Amino acid sequence: MFERKRIPLLSALVLALSAGCAVLGDGTHRERYADAQIDPFRGVEGDVGFSDTIQYWRDEAALARHAALADKPAEQWKLNWKHMDLDRMELHPGHLAVDEGQAMVKKLAARDSAFLACLGEGSPELKGKAAAYPKFDEALDRIVTVEARIEHCAKRVLKEEIRQGTPPNNKISVYFKSLSAGTPIRVDLSDANVMEAYRRGEELFYRKTGQLNFACASCHVPGSIMGHKLRGETPTTPFGDAAHYPTYRTPVGALESIQERFARCHGQMRTQALKPGDPAYADLEVFMTVLSNGYPVSVPSAR
Amino acid sequence: MKRFVLLAAVLPGLTFAGTAAAQGAAAPPAPPDYSAFPCLSYSLPCGKVATRQPVQKALEGPLNGNAAKGKQIAQARDRGNCLACHVMPGGSQPGSRGPDLSHFGSTGRSEAEAYAMVWDMRTVNPETLMPPFGTNAILSEQELRDVVAFLLSSK
Ligand code: HEC
Ligand code: HEC
Repeated sequence: MFERKRIPLLSALVLALSAGCAVLGDGTHRERYADAQIDPFRGVEGDVGFSDTIQYWRDEAALARHAALADKPAEQWKLNWKHMDLDRMELHPGHLAVDEGQAMVKKLAARDSAFLACLGEGSPELKGKAAAYPKFDEALDRIVTVEARIEHCAKRVLKEEIRQGTPPNNKISVYFKSLSAGTPIRVDLSDANVMEAYRRGEELFYRKTGQLNFACASCHVPGSIMGHKLRGETPTTPFGDAAHYPTYRTPVGALESIQERFARCHGQMRTQALKPGDPAYADLEVFMTVLSNGYPVSVPSAR
Repeated sequence: MKRFVLLAAVLPGLTFAGTAAAQGAAAPPAPPDYSAFPCLSYSLPCGKVATRQPVQKALEGPLNGNAAKGKQIAQARDRGNCLACHVMPGGSQPGSRGPDLSHFGSTGRSEAEAYAMVWDMRTVNPETLMPPFGTNAILSEQELRDVVAFLLSSK
């Protein structure tokens, strides 16, 4: 039902002539990066035929087989940094964040137990639940991420601001998601509202923005800068990324949610960054998390 | 082997730390304002800003570029940062997505051709990844002329 339309040869030619351009609903001219044709229903396996790097990082056995790539500067990007998840055996500050988040939830729930029931959507049991996020919340009539749920429940139950993109929100999120560690991500594409958010996020991913006129796709799809040196770094496949967020960023010594990461990429693109929780970032998060469907939640993590 | 490199080091635009240090300022400066260019917001005005159309820019008058200055501009992460994508004479950690420009001066391109390409590569290739340095005012007119002089001096 949600299949991408097959484009007949003739209209494909016409498309090629008007390549790279799009007109937004309001008539605004916008350039687009060419569509990479991702099938959302394949989840993380969609990387097969995309970057094809999933063979190196799909699971621990694959990572063990290809561990040597980590020492080859030209090829290291193929591990998609998943080799760093093996660090979870070691104690890094991401683990401390789990403990801090747990202590915070305990304290907040002691003030009003309805806080926990709100996080768990009716029951205080949080185990496994984060793997189904982002989701569409009927009552709130919008897409809700784990960070948005935390913000909402703090405000509704405790009249307290625990805004998305702040350290307390990230700590609680790391704790919440750690209770789903190892559970395969399953964003529900049979929900039409989620599917629509995916399509909106997909559209945003290919839209060129900012002074440098880049789209996310300019760096994160095959044929773009992905896999190429960009001075000190090499952009990687977008598949599997959402699984390890929020992550502990060692270079700055702080937790970072995936939407804060979007904002950071936007700064690099010289594009007006949006606030965590912005509806456009929520849609992008849906898009990117669908690209992690089937991949286990890998929180806490460090990058 | 780990890549704890700040993304800030990758592209032009983020040199906050350096700028603050240079000014001896205590507080970090406010992030630059890019709201004149398209953004992804559904509600802010920048969400409705159009992409600037490709501009075929003709070189007016003599080039008058300073190749030594152009080299600095091409390397500076907050200016041209051409090195993000190109190998060029001098500079460290060149990128690998764009063609090697170390001998661009020997490829027989005229000043006007090189100038038009750096001004807006979309006039040559509508699908290019290269930012439109002139059209989007990433470089000033004189900076662009300096960079072109540097390109043509690379033999
Ligand atoms: C000009 C290049 C460039 C653009 C454009 C860009 N990124 Fe990135 N991005 C990078 C680099 C380099 C990295 C670090 C290497 C990596 O993990 O891919 C990165 C990392 C990321 C990560 C973290 C991956 C991880 O494993 O933790 C996410 C998520 C991401 N980008 C999303 C986006 C989104 C969404 C956009 C558009 C709003 C975008 N990027 C635009 C270059 C870019
Ligand atoms: C984000 C990547 C990127 C950046 C940054 C970039 N370029 Fe390019 N450039 C390319 C690509 C890719 C090409 C190949 C042609 C194409 O795809 O349009 C190219 C082609 C060129 C060419 C034509 C080469 C030839 O022989 O035809 C010149 C000249 C050039 N770039 C100069 C520059 C200068 C000068 C700067 C900085 C002020 C710069 N580029 C910054 C990506 C980039």
